[in-house]
Amino acid sequence: MNVRRMMGVARKTLRSLRHDRRTAGFLVFMPLFMIAIFGYTFGGDLKDVDVVIVNLDAGGENGSMSAMIIEELSSGETLRLTVLEGAGAVDGEQLVRDADAWAAIVFASDFTARADAAVDAMRAGTTAYPGVLSVYLDGTNPNIAQAVLTEIATTMQRVLLAQYGLMPPIAVSGEMIYGEDAEFIDFFAPGVMGLAAMMVTFMLSIISFVHERTTGTLDRLLTTPATEGEIVGGYAAALGLVALVQSVVILVTAVLLFDVEVEGSILLVLATILLLGIGSQGLGFLLSSIAKTEFQAVQFMPIILFPSILLAGVFWPIEAVPELLRPVSYFIPLTYAVEACRSVMIRGWDLGDVWPQLLVLAAFAAAMLILSAYSLKRRR
Amino acid sequence: MSEGTEDGEDRPAVVTRGLGKSFGDVVAVRDLNLEIGRGVMYGLIGPNGSGKTTIIRILSGLLSASTGEAWLLGERVPARANRPRIGYMPQEMAIYTDLTVHENIDLFGEMYSIPAEERAEREDSLLAMIGLKERRDSLVSNLSGGMKHRVSLACALVHDPELVFLDEPTVGVDPELRKGFWDYFANLKARGKTVVLTTHYMDEAVRCDAVGMMRLGRMIAEGAPMELIESTESATLEDAFIAKAREESA
Ligand SMILES: Nc1ncnc2c1ncn2[C@@H]1O[C@H](COP(=O)(O)OP(=O)(O)O)[C@@H](O)[C@H]1O
Ligand SMILES: [Mg+2]
Repeated sequence: MNVRRMMGVARKTLRSLRHDRRTAGFLVFMPLFMIAIFGYTFGGDLKDVDVVIVNLDAGGENGSMSAMIIEELSSGETLRLTVLEGAGAVDGEQLVRDADAWAAIVFASDFTARADAAVDAMRAGTTAYPGVLSVYLDGTNPNIAQAVLTEIATTMQRVLLAQYGLMPPIAVSGEMIYGEDAEFIDFFAPGVMGLAAMMVTFMLSIISFVHERTTGTLDRLLTTPATEGEIVGGYAAALGLVALVQSVVILVTAVLLFDVEVEGSILLVLATILLLGIGSQGLGFLLSSIAKTEFQAVQFMPIILFPSILLAGVFWPIEAVPELLRPVSYFIPLTYAVEACRSVMIRGWDLGDVWPQLLVLAAFAAAMLILSAYSLKRRR
Repeated sequence: MSEGTEDGEDRPAVVTRGLGKSFGDVVAVRDLNLEIGRGVMYGLIGPNGSGKTTIIRILSGLLSASTGEAWLLGERVPARANRPRIGYMPQEMAIYTDLTVHENIDLFGEMYSIPAEERAEREDSLLAMIGLKERRDSLVSNLSGGMKHRVSLACALVHDPELVFLDEPTVGVDPELRKGFWDYFANLKARGKTVVLTTHYMDEAVRCDAVGMMRLGRMIAEGAPMELIESTESATLEDAFIAKAREESA
């Protein structure tokens, strides 16, 4: 293995990227764009979700319980409330049907009365039929529906505790072990990083090599003293570097724009991405021998990318993948990269914890490089 | 013929014994027995599809032969050890269009492990030879077809090889420049290099020391161009080819 020749191939690969401004720009802006879009779409807490409250509650001798709940609800930022008072004000359910609100909360006219009765009964050790609060939800976006329900449930608990000194019979004591301040973006930033690295190295590699094959430059390189291993290694070095640069762009964006926190070692994250990038470019190389034209090469992309996006735990955990498909997840290298990056970034794990994932990725990278070099050695 | 990589000066530049290649049912080359001495300019001539490229690709180590064997500078093909001493210009352009002229030549210089200083000198003289000194930093994709061809030639010669294979080096090169190319090949030969080239413009091959006439994968005649012309009482090498082809069919 002649390192100078290998670096010569790497330099050539990077030089052609430098001349191709559009592609070079794409390589930097694509991940930036991805993280920004995803970040703004899913990121942060929900805010100002439109909710209509139809308050038909007649109140009771100790004041109106619905009013207390409404006041408590409006103190938060999650919901933007429109309160309609009085009998027959509006049909809340219809408002949700018309998509004028994500949710409608309807307090029945005897809400306070029944609640008071139920509270009295509870104190007396008997039971009574509790007050009814109907919530009509638009489940189009499960995230929003879930957030509204959670907000209502916790608010009611707070009101019960503050106004009546009542505690639910079972107390759950929850303590966040990892990701105390984690938001959804913390969860998927590592995923997007892995996805971008894989996508770009695979794409660049398959297209470059189809080009090298069809124009004859690969053959020409093979007639020089450069070995198959040096050619494959040179490409891996160049595209691995591209993957690293991208990851840095994503990390910086995620940290600056979305306050993503990196608990563990950034170097470990980058090492993970490097292994994934090298493996993916090797896969691109291998598939380039099947594709006859660049157009055919492009057709491979969805075949490789869709399973990775859907099954590798980028946006939702592997546990959310149907059990039937889960074995497939474990065959996708991105799964391990995302798992490792996530553990390092959110849980703050180090090499001692994520070595199994890194081992899998290293094996993937090594296998792809060896197979690539071997496939070049075989003459027709 | 012994194997081995040591370079006895007496060993011919190219030797093939019973060399053949089939692609499925297509027999591209059959039973080729070549012997090309050192310092010779040898032309493989014949129409398109007659097997010239296939021969060059087998000798360059890019294709495996179906039958027979071959030696380059005494080393059995694929002659890995002798690669630094062999040059190859493919029939396709086979240069990086997304790199500059300089970057292309430099890359191949690097692949032959030529020290940076010497590489720069070689590049300078090659650029002068192909007349592209001013275009050194142009992207190859911005060059004309003929210019690209010249860059391709320069890439094959960057390591000053002893034996060089040029597959259709003059295709798409304008007549004026074509003469320059041939002058350069003659110059290589004068410096003791062995040049093996192919062309389907048969007439220009009269400048070769020897030509092999290829037809349907078979070598139908071999010899010095003038001898072939005279023995067939032809006016040109192309007429001689036609006469030989008739002889063979008969
Ligand atoms: N890779 C290949 N697969 C199938 N047939 C091929 C291949 N390469 C060459 N051939 C066939 O072999 C014959 C010789 O081709 P070639 O060596 O390119 O001829 P030339 O260089 O003289 O034009 C042709 O019939 C061609 O179609
Ligand atoms: Mg040809």
